[in-house]
Amino acid sequence: MSEALQQVKDWILKRHPDREDIPGDLDLIENRLIDSLSFVEFVFLLEQHSGRPIEMETLEVDAIRTLDAIDANFFRAEVK
Amino acid sequence: MPARPTAAGGGPGWANLGMDIVSVKRVRRLLEDHGEGFFERMLDPGELADCRTSSGLDLLSLCGRIAAKEAAFKTLRVRGRFLPWRDIVVRRSDGGWPLVELRRSAADMAAQSGITDITVSISHDVDYAVAVAAPILGDPSGLRP
Repeated sequence: MSEALQQVKDWILKRHPDREDIPGDLDLIENRLIDSLSFVEFVFLLEQHSGRPIEMETLEVDAIRTLDAIDANFFRAEVK
Repeated sequence: MPARPTAAGGGPGWANLGMDIVSVKRVRRLLEDHGEGFFERMLDPGELADCRTSSGLDLLSLCGRIAAKEAAFKTLRVRGRFLPWRDIVVRRSDGGWPLVELRRSAADMAAQSGITDITVSISHDVDYAVAVAAPILGDPSGLRP
């Protein structure tokens, strides 16, 4: 796991102390680890760690549904 | 464009209510951690101005605005999208009640659902703000196939 993705994972775990770990394929939305309010803060975090601006109004849920998806879309995706 | 679910029991005149609750504790933490500028991602300058009193940003008003936006978004029943915060604008009318304005992506989502407008009501008490929203439906024959 990249350092950036680990920081994202740590951010979520810090806000959900009842959880010890988050598997890469766990649905963050269905499990209420990210909701509309935390989403704004989460995007802020992703922008900081990916170095890319994110358009909140057009971002689709599937892009951040799991840690695996976040890794693929923000930390491993080719920036064009 | 994300697929749109079919409302169970839906039909002409069918409308979906939306409701939301926001904790002052959560919003206070956001304010303390990131400052007022953070909320510019969620509210436009006019909305933020509506939330100010002579002593600064009023947390309950802010929570009420946030709850109203979420409640309004829930009436749209959109799958696969997050709340387009700055495209659902909630302003205070001259009479004091909240008015919803749908912009850009929110206006498109509403149009696809046959919704012409959304009405909201906000209430708060000490630690929480709640909002309920109801869509105003246009002519069902105007719906896209």
